[in-house]
Amino acid sequence: MNLETLYALRDVAGVPSHPLIFLILGVLTFALHMLAVQVMLGAAGLTLWGALSQDEHKRRLANTMLRTAKVGVSVAVVLGVAPLLFVQVLYDPFWYTSNVLSAWWVIGFIILLTIGYLLMYVFYGKNHDLTQAKTQCPGSMIASIALLLVVGFIMHVLTQQMLSPEKWVEWYAPNGTLDPSGKGIHDFNLFRFGFFISMSLVSISAWLLAYRRYISQKKSTDQAYLSFVKNLASKLGLMGAVITIIFAAGWVLTLADNHANSIPTFFVFIGMLTVVGVALLPKLLKDTNSILTSYGVFGMAAVALILIAIARELFRWNILFGGFGYNPLEYTVNFDGYSTALFFATFILVGGTSLAYLLTIAWKAGQSEGVYTPSATVDGMGKLAVWTAGLWVIHWFAVGFWVWLT
Amino acid sequence: MEMLGLYPNWFEPVVGSGWVVGIISTIHVLASHTSVGAALFFAYLSVIAYRQNRPELLDYIKKYGLFLLIFSYVIGSITGPGIWFSTTVASPRGISALIHSFVWKWATEWVFFVIEVVGVYLLVYLAGKVNQRTHMRMAILFGIVSYATMLSIVGILSFMMGPGMEKWFETGGFLNGFYGANTFAHLAMRTTFMFTMTAVVGGIVAASIKDPIFKADMVRRLAILGIVSSMLGTLMLQWYLTTIPEQAHLVMQNRLPEYFKPAMISVLVGTAVYFLVTYIRPRMLSSALAGIMTILILIFGLWPEEVARESIRKPFVAGQYVYSNQVISRDVEGMNIQSEIPLIEEKGFLKTLAFLPDHLRDVTPDNVLEVGHALAVTTCSNCHSLTNTGIRPLQNYFGGNTDISAIKTYLKGALATGNTLYMPKIPLQDQEAEALAVYIANMTDKKVVEQYKTEKSAIVSQQNTAHKNEAMQGGQL
Repeated sequence: MNLETLYALRDVAGVPSHPLIFLILGVLTFALHMLAVQVMLGAAGLTLWGALSQDEHKRRLANTMLRTAKVGVSVAVVLGVAPLLFVQVLYDPFWYTSNVLSAWWVIGFIILLTIGYLLMYVFYGKNHDLTQAKTQCPGSMIASIALLLVVGFIMHVLTQQMLSPEKWVEWYAPNGTLDPSGKGIHDFNLFRFGFFISMSLVSISAWLLAYRRYISQKKSTDQAYLSFVKNLASKLGLMGAVITIIFAAGWVLTLADNHANSIPTFFVFIGMLTVVGVALLPKLLKDTNSILTSYGVFGMAAVALILIAIARELFRWNILFGGFGYNPLEYTVNFDGYSTALFFATFILVGGTSLAYLLTIAWKAGQSEGVYTPSATVDGMGKLAVWTAGLWVIHWFAVGFWVWLT
Repeated sequence: MEMLGLYPNWFEPVVGSGWVVGIISTIHVLASHTSVGAALFFAYLSVIAYRQNRPELLDYIKKYGLFLLIFSYVIGSITGPGIWFSTTVASPRGISALIHSFVWKWATEWVFFVIEVVGVYLLVYLAGKVNQRTHMRMAILFGIVSYATMLSIVGILSFMMGPGMEKWFETGGFLNGFYGANTFAHLAMRTTFMFTMTAVVGGIVAASIKDPIFKADMVRRLAILGIVSSMLGTLMLQWYLTTIPEQAHLVMQNRLPEYFKPAMISVLVGTAVYFLVTYIRPRMLSSALAGIMTILILIFGLWPEEVARESIRKPFVAGQYVYSNQVISRDVEGMNIQSEIPLIEEKGFLKTLAFLPDHLRDVTPDNVLEVGHALAVTTCSNCHSLTNTGIRPLQNYFGGNTDISAIKTYLKGALATGNTLYMPKIPLQDQEAEALAVYIANMTDKKVVEQYKTEKSAIVSQQNTAHKNEAMQGGQL
């Protein structure tokens, strides 16, 4: 697959803003998506671990983690939409080809994810309170986690297949015979897949520290449970960091010859250093319930993922630009000021005010005993959010009628 | 060598890739429209709950919200990107056209999705844990952002039929592509029918209310919503039909399946009767009955509607410039888009397809069937199944004809020239048309290709003999 053909596959409409903007947003939203995926997988794993145990603390944690996992799938799915959008904008020749070549797996992704998520709800339906009753139907949770891992693997395959344009024609027409069935899985690297999955241990350990800090603000929380959560987070973080490093090393050592020189060493190094930092920080600092060693560590896990997302993007860049000359930044620009401004204005004004209001309510209500009544400031945030969203709708109609009628 | 920007194809032999997209889309439309309608309905109920101090309405919001968490926020939120995934594998350049013109609108919609997901969990899990005024405010915000998701997507869906304003072809630009008469009619139609779906699905939850007086109150509210919205929806559908391109009307008159009109009328009449009965006798509503009604609307209302929307925009799949077989069919000056038809007319498909093995770039008696298959997969299979099942089986359109010459004449006369209304222009070269004709004839009679090879070998043999004789005569001279 030569450069002329790769460029011919690009969309003829071009892109409406400078490609660098999409590249940056793609990296950032991928990191956010992976953070949600890893917290969700970690929470799902802890749910199962606790639900299969008789230990009171483990079951209590499982009860909370089940709710985290349930919401986590929703959050992971919705956050995943953004990197999925941006990869199509700049890497359309690679993404679309990879998808078509494994089309049945792409359709399978939708079906398996739906079943996996529904099974989690089945487990939740059978186990509303794991602290009070015996665990029912653990198989549904086991199957749910297994399916979530399978869909993660499908995404890994699609991403991996993007990186080998020189093999595409052979994959589509093995031995010269056309195979449009889309049933094949053509490329994967279990170390790379294992790397992102094993990082769930690190991310959930950071999440547990934040969770511990959050519930410690309630008077009713007992110290023994807080200690249990702290120790568990500490162990998971260290174990996760070691396993992640092993998988990272395996990934580097098993790279194809034409990919081996594409590793962005600096970002891989500082990314992994940050992962180790997430695991060690609570140990290094004495006060393990300060903001720094709780929410700060979770923030650090997010930074680690952003660094890894940058490394991943540079790795792809080096292969596709270095090996094939494909430059995403040379995508034809048909600049459109209105839609560009619309996104950023919506993101900052509507997204900012609405999420600030809703998350403040969630945060405060979670820490309140009884019915929560917001302060005048929080009420003001609510009014602002409603007005901003309402003005957005009015603007939609105003601009629309103006375009239509003129 | 100049290449076409055509991707590999996915061919699904049982139902066809088009139906896979259709099934996922139909399920998504039910889940997402119900969700948006319910969000606005929640806002309305929460205002009443606050003003009239009726906390039982919040209980209903909580129950319906919990139901929606699975119905819309599991199935709906996965089938949403699921449509992207399925169209990616079934029609990559179709979805790509929408993505590249409207990426920022989709990104904007994503902002609303994020708020929506946070909002629905808070509405459900904080009902009774925050004061009613706060719950009302969250419900209003949730309603507005949910509707904003529909506002964000509707212009993109309309663009699939064609750009909002005709001048988009000359000027390009997001606004001229997104907004137009069809966008507003489309929005009005979807808005009204989404309330109908909300009322039907809401019945599943309302039927389980224990208090008979409250149950009657809720069921009647839903019935009124359902009756008004379905009546208005029928009017909006008429408006929508006045805004579609003339070509779409012709396709509607000639190509829609026979069951389409009766199915739509039955669903509308059935829905009205259902709501009238539940209004008069609210106690008779059960969750099972509401569930059955939901499934009936899915099968007899949404499915034909989705199939019709896919059919009437033929031969295009997006913006009236991307053919359903993925070829760029016309110049779009405003976006610097150039038609690929001249390149195909000059060089043919076989010389310009990126994903074709080299040994299929020239047609020979030995590879004719393989080449024909490759061309059928590339140029036909997006809309026509290559087997007996699935969407519009190709061989049904040739009535069992095995006359290669006749089929080739049709391909060259009607398709290559673009003279069939709902079909793309497919400018096959002579050898390509012959290969495709052999493949189509061979679908009916598997002996065709062998006869063809024998005939071709005989011709080649005769030609060789003639050449030898000529050579010998030349030598004697």
